[in-house]
Amino acid sequence: MKDQVSLYNKIFIGGLTILASYALLQFHNYMDGYEVAILISSVFAFSWLGFSWRNFKSYFSTIFLLAFLSIFLYQGNLLIVEENFLLKYFLSSQSAIMWMSALYPLSLIIYWFHLFNSQDFSGKLASSLVWIATTLGTAGLLIRWYESYLINIDVGHIPISNLYEVFVLFCIITALIYLYYEERIGTKKLGAFILIIINIAVGFLLWYSFAKGAHEIQPLVPALQSYWMKIHVPANFIGYGAFAIAAMVSVAYLIVDKGWLTKYLPEKDVLDDLTYRAIAIGFIFFTIATILGAVWAAEAWGGYWSWDPKETWALIVWLNYAAWLHLRLIKGLRGNILAWWSIIGLFITAFCFLGVNLFLSGLHSYGEL
Amino acid sequence: MSSMRFAITMLSFVGIASIIGTILKQKQPYESYIIKFGQFWFDIFRQLDLFNVYQAIWFLIILVFLIASTSLCVIRNSPSILREYKKFQDQIREKSLRSFKHCYEISVPSFNKLDLISLLEKNNFKVREKKNNSSDLLIIAKKGSFQKLGYIFTHLAIIIISVGGILDGNLMLKTQELLGIKQIQLLDLPLSEIPSKSRLDLNNFSYRANVLLSEGEKQDVGVIPSKDGYLIQELPFSVGLKDFNIEHYSSGQPKSFESDLILTSKLTGKIKEQKISVNKPVTFEGVTIYQSDFQDGGTKLNIVTTDLRTNNKSQPMKAEVFKSNSLIYMNQSFSFEFEDFRLFNILDIDSSQKKNSKNVGPNFTYKIRNESGQANEYQTYQLPMKLEGRYFFVSGMRETPQEDYKFLKMPADAERGLDGFLIFKNLLLDKETIKRAINQVISTSSSSKSVNSGNLELSTLRLFKTFQQGGYNDVALSIDKNIPIQEQESAANAYIKIIHLVTNQVLLDYQKNNTSTKFFEREDLSLFTQDALNAYSDSFFYGTPLFLELKDFEHVQASGLQLTKSPGKFWVYLGSILLVIGIFCMIYVQEVRLWVLKKKNSKNILLTLTTNRHHLTFDKYANDIKNKINSFSKKG
Ligand code: HEM
Repeated sequence: MKDQVSLYNKIFIGGLTILASYALLQFHNYMDGYEVAILISSVFAFSWLGFSWRNFKSYFSTIFLLAFLSIFLYQGNLLIVEENFLLKYFLSSQSAIMWMSALYPLSLIIYWFHLFNSQDFSGKLASSLVWIATTLGTAGLLIRWYESYLINIDVGHIPISNLYEVFVLFCIITALIYLYYEERIGTKKLGAFILIIINIAVGFLLWYSFAKGAHEIQPLVPALQSYWMKIHVPANFIGYGAFAIAAMVSVAYLIVDKGWLTKYLPEKDVLDDLTYRAIAIGFIFFTIATILGAVWAAEAWGGYWSWDPKETWALIVWLNYAAWLHLRLIKGLRGNILAWWSIIGLFITAFCFLGVNLFLSGLHSYGEL
Repeated sequence: MSSMRFAITMLSFVGIASIIGTILKQKQPYESYIIKFGQFWFDIFRQLDLFNVYQAIWFLIILVFLIASTSLCVIRNSPSILREYKKFQDQIREKSLRSFKHCYEISVPSFNKLDLISLLEKNNFKVREKKNNSSDLLIIAKKGSFQKLGYIFTHLAIIIISVGGILDGNLMLKTQELLGIKQIQLLDLPLSEIPSKSRLDLNNFSYRANVLLSEGEKQDVGVIPSKDGYLIQELPFSVGLKDFNIEHYSSGQPKSFESDLILTSKLTGKIKEQKISVNKPVTFEGVTIYQSDFQDGGTKLNIVTTDLRTNNKSQPMKAEVFKSNSLIYMNQSFSFEFEDFRLFNILDIDSSQKKNSKNVGPNFTYKIRNESGQANEYQTYQLPMKLEGRYFFVSGMRETPQEDYKFLKMPADAERGLDGFLIFKNLLLDKETIKRAINQVISTSSSSKSVNSGNLELSTLRLFKTFQQGGYNDVALSIDKNIPIQEQESAANAYIKIIHLVTNQVLLDYQKNNTSTKFFEREDLSLFTQDALNAYSDSFFYGTPLFLELKDFEHVQASGLQLTKSPGKFWVYLGSILLVIGIFCMIYVQEVRLWVLKKKNSKNILLTLTTNRHHLTFDKYANDIKNKINSFSKKG
């Protein structure tokens, strides 16, 4: 058993290395030094993730298989979608993301079923669906990355540059963080809550792409053409995703605190601890993301801090969770107040994520509605 | 002041001020605030510095208090933390060891001290041993002491970041302004006339200044916009713009801006040539130069002015952006102030739901000011745009900047030019032509009927005169005046039909007689006629009758640069690194202390673990350690 695991690890890490080396050899002319550094560090990061999390290996391998299959089917021609059944219904980025958008709601329903009947089978089914949805969503993004280059070589860019794309990113990152905790804590009961927030994001995504045609790939404005985007945005979304999870777990906490659903949900201590852990993870990534944002701003706009609305709201979010951590770590505060606080924290976070784009104008140019 | 309550209060203030600063748009021109809030609230808001929250005195004071509070906190807490960090708690009694939650008694048939120590060390503990006076053995171990240092790191980081930020803020400038040493310049003066009170010299250690350079131009000062005015910053070098390039995506959106700069140091005469672009700045003599935006740099325009309401001949005019031309026309003097030219305009003109932005080509913006000083603002596109399936030349007019443009849409002829419309206008205004066409129309359509054709001709001629003088609007007025209400609608319809029939006939005739031109060779000529009539009629709402057609241009661009000197940046970055390390220590390092007490004659040991932050995982961890010790001592 142990040998098997380590063999799988070796294959995984070997595969990653080969992939990255291939990318380096093939495309190094198109990358600057920083992008090479990002590529190499991501090999380490994903190796480590795969090393410490078995399911991640399968997930990661699958998205690459799907992406390569899609690339193979495309044959360098975007118009082929219409003729190719597999591409049209599964492996174009748009279809993959639509499948994701269909499977998350389904798994939400099954999680709620599981919450009350506690059968092993329903729990496993729900988790598997989330895994599949997440895999398809991520593959969708990867394929979209490729498609953007098919539109035109100079249009090509990493698909985290507008609201549509970052909503997909939000869904998959939140789902991944959740799946990780689900495994660690050994309960699938919380899926019923976490999947709510993911599905809200899916709802927005669908509305946004149908009503506004937002799924169309647009070229990047000059300010976004930077390797910084490749680290700043994902770091931010790990923060957002973790804060979202903290808030939903807090909802569960408050429900248990009221004495409801106590038969079905984990104990308060577990929920409280999970909230803390999610906020801690989120806080550190959000800190890093904000700092990277400042460094990027220094390069693109000529100042590391311009009190642009997005920056300012990031600071407000940060201060909010710093206060939360102070109260919990120093004053030893637990319970209701912190749970409510983390829920309110999600609203502040949501405003930073969305509200700023909707209501305030600023230098952060992507994703106006 | 070092209490957490004080710090949290201050932090809340920062938060609230920040929110205000994002909701109330900052650093706008003062007029726009007055228009928005009225004079009364404008005055109050200005007193509170709400238009520039982040540089307000009170905001700075809050920050200073925050720094002071955090510093005091660090100063007060650090010594004890450092002491703790080093210390192994060896003055502990058995009783207190037993009082902890994670205290286990383990039987150890064979006990080897060194093995135990190496086991603990393998689990990342630092280990000390202490012989009690009773020669009992006490092993003290701890790990994760870094957590404590995390407190110092994070709080020190906050201090360093804030200090860096304040270094780069405008505290110095603000003080100098308050003391009356420096003064914000409100007037738009030529550089040579700006007094030294409004100039900042090279000693200024931190600034963010703008420089706007046309191609071929050179400058050695920057402009610092400040409140409702500006200051001039002397630079340690001169910046020249050799070349400026914008690349566009095929859809017309800008893809990159690049400036080729020539930098010449004033001190050493050193010359550096460097290309910069967005996200790729250059640092020279301690100043970093960024590509921030671009503008027109005085594009030269070849224009033809046409009177839309007379048959007067069109006149050519040479113009340049940022300059004005004056013109005496029909005994009135006009001044044309050219304000902007844009090569690419991405518009969303298709009214369908989906985003369908397209580049519609160049446009230019200008004001036409009459003798009494009143001016209308115009925005005219060079190329015809496709609207509702047909091509139009489009020009917008507005009377004040708050309004939206109202657009005059002149139909393009079959060769996509404006000439067709201008010929149409001339024909429409030519009495003989119209008269001939009227007769033709009357004779073909009403030959069988016994209508007095002379009467009809006369009334139609009158109708045309009204239309020529005021478009449909005047026609409507005259209907209002002369025709009973119940017949007005049918009369209006009839009039519109007649005007259309006649003018369409005019064009058909013209086309027949001028076979060399193809302006009106089109199947939808009737639509063209209708559009042209509408355009003529709309021209009465166009402010002046003068339309400026852009024939060609010589594009001159200017590059917008931002020059910054920010000595605080280093400290902000340093603080940021410290902050991340600190948070990491605090959150992810768990401090654990561990004691093993073995009484001299006992077969048991007492194992105690404590942590300062109790997370759920600690139970499991303590249990793990216990099991490890347990199994190891059994094995031995
Ligand atoms: C990165 C976020 C921060 C974290 C994780 C953090 C953590 C802590 C911790 C652990 C303590 C207790 C130290 C002890 O008593 O052993 C503390 C106290 C304190 N923190 Fe923070 N802090 C952070 C940011 C800030 C900020 C931004 C301020 C505001 C200036 C601040 C002000 C204070 C103050 C005033 C105390 C009280 C010290 C005392 O009890 O005398 N902290 N913080």
